[in-house]
Amino acid sequence: MSKTPNYKEAFDELQTIVNDIELGEISVDELAEKVKRATVLIAICKAKLASTEEDVNRILKELDNAGE
Amino acid sequence: MSEKIANKTVYTLLEVAKSIQKTLADRYTSEFWVKAEMNKLNFYHHSGHAYPELVEKQDGKIIAQFKANLWRDDYQQINANFLRTLGEPLKDGIKILFLARITFEPQYGLSLRIIDIDPSFTLGDLEREKQETIQRLHTEGIYHSNKQTPLPLLPQRIAIISVETSKGYADFTKVLDTNPWNYHFFHVLFPSLLQGDRAVESIRHQLRRIKKVISHFDVVAIIRGGGGDVGLSCYNNYELARDIVLFPIPVITGIGHATNETVAEMIAHANAITPTKIAEFLLLKFHEFAVPVQKAEEKIKSKAERIIEDEKYRLQSVMKLFRSVTANVLAENRGQVRSMTRMLQQQSAFMIRNEKSLINSIEKNIANLIAQSVLKRGFSITFKNGKPVKNSQELKEGDTIQTQLAEGAITSVVQSTKPS
Repeated sequence: MSKTPNYKEAFDELQTIVNDIELGEISVDELAEKVKRATVLIAICKAKLASTEEDVNRILKELDNAGE
Repeated sequence: MSEKIANKTVYTLLEVAKSIQKTLADRYTSEFWVKAEMNKLNFYHHSGHAYPELVEKQDGKIIAQFKANLWRDDYQQINANFLRTLGEPLKDGIKILFLARITFEPQYGLSLRIIDIDPSFTLGDLEREKQETIQRLHTEGIYHSNKQTPLPLLPQRIAIISVETSKGYADFTKVLDTNPWNYHFFHVLFPSLLQGDRAVESIRHQLRRIKKVISHFDVVAIIRGGGGDVGLSCYNNYELARDIVLFPIPVITGIGHATNETVAEMIAHANAITPTKIAEFLLLKFHEFAVPVQKAEEKIKSKAERIIEDEKYRLQSVMKLFRSVTANVLAENRGQVRSMTRMLQQQSAFMIRNEKSLINSIEKNIANLIAQSVLKRGFSITFKNGKPVKNSQELKEGDTIQTQLAEGAITSVVQSTKPS
């Protein structure tokens, strides 16, 4: 878990935590850690919905370099 | 009419032409149906006339060709008929069944005058092209390729093939860019013709361009709209359909209102009638991601609170139990201690009282015993009014006194006293 997950990984991991917590498979000892993790994952997912890192100019430059 | 020049009969060009004209007019008295491929329409906007180039091919080679005339009035009527029946105008490269008359004008030569064209024949031909395209894609096993290309969880980066000024493009980008959930889409326009024969090469060209920068995109959207439902048979073209179906990322189409779905629309990853609908399709994908995330947030919050609440409750009930058990034990013990204390107090007081009275009686006995033994040795005790007399000055003449002896007592009257 050291690297930041991409949004798909974040989404999948989040679903796992929700499942575990729904099935009551999370003890009070783990709870704080899991909730903290879920908060991070939710933030990643929400950020993805609201932004991309793409840049039109960079793509056009790349097109020029590829030679049309 | 002919003249003799150096013993030769010589005709003028016009005479020859007129002769041919007459012969043809006598021979070809009626109109007749002909089928041919219209290689070029050669329509002239300023005159409104068209001069189609007709050919017949065998194994790709031209085995017959003819010039034709299509006069303005006929052209307009036929073209309108075509648009109504086929959704396509008269154009280059279609097969036609036409009603013709042979004409020969001395000035222009031989040609076929087209009086009418049967659109159903051309329709059948276009339909055949469409079916051939479908069949070829099936035969090559690629018909479902683009449908099987997975769409990313969030199809967020869109390469749009469209016309910048078209209503379809405006509708599509408006729905994406002004969505009330603040979902962010990134899109780049790759401008292209979208109808008519030249659209095939134009779209294919843009697909090739997109391929060069494919890593920046999740999906290609071919968006048309606002141009009328004419000239869409280009989307049945095999080369174009093949490029779309084999495209490495999903291609979605919002091409138009045509009742008759084109091959490109059939084989696209997803298709909707209007650009707005195809934009909504993308928004739906975002919902499918956003809603579970939202739900997860709520569920985790409520479940975590519930777990903590449950645990707190359990702890409290354990504490309550512990407290009541210990209180009971304490109360029991305290009661015991109290009753034992009381018992001890009562017992000891009783014992002390007993001892004290015992000692008293013993003391009394001892005093009696001492007094008795003194009396027995001849001493006596003198009382006046029941009180022992210890000093002769306590008495005066005439007082009655009692004298206690060891055995018995004497009553006497004092005659005199004398101090010691």
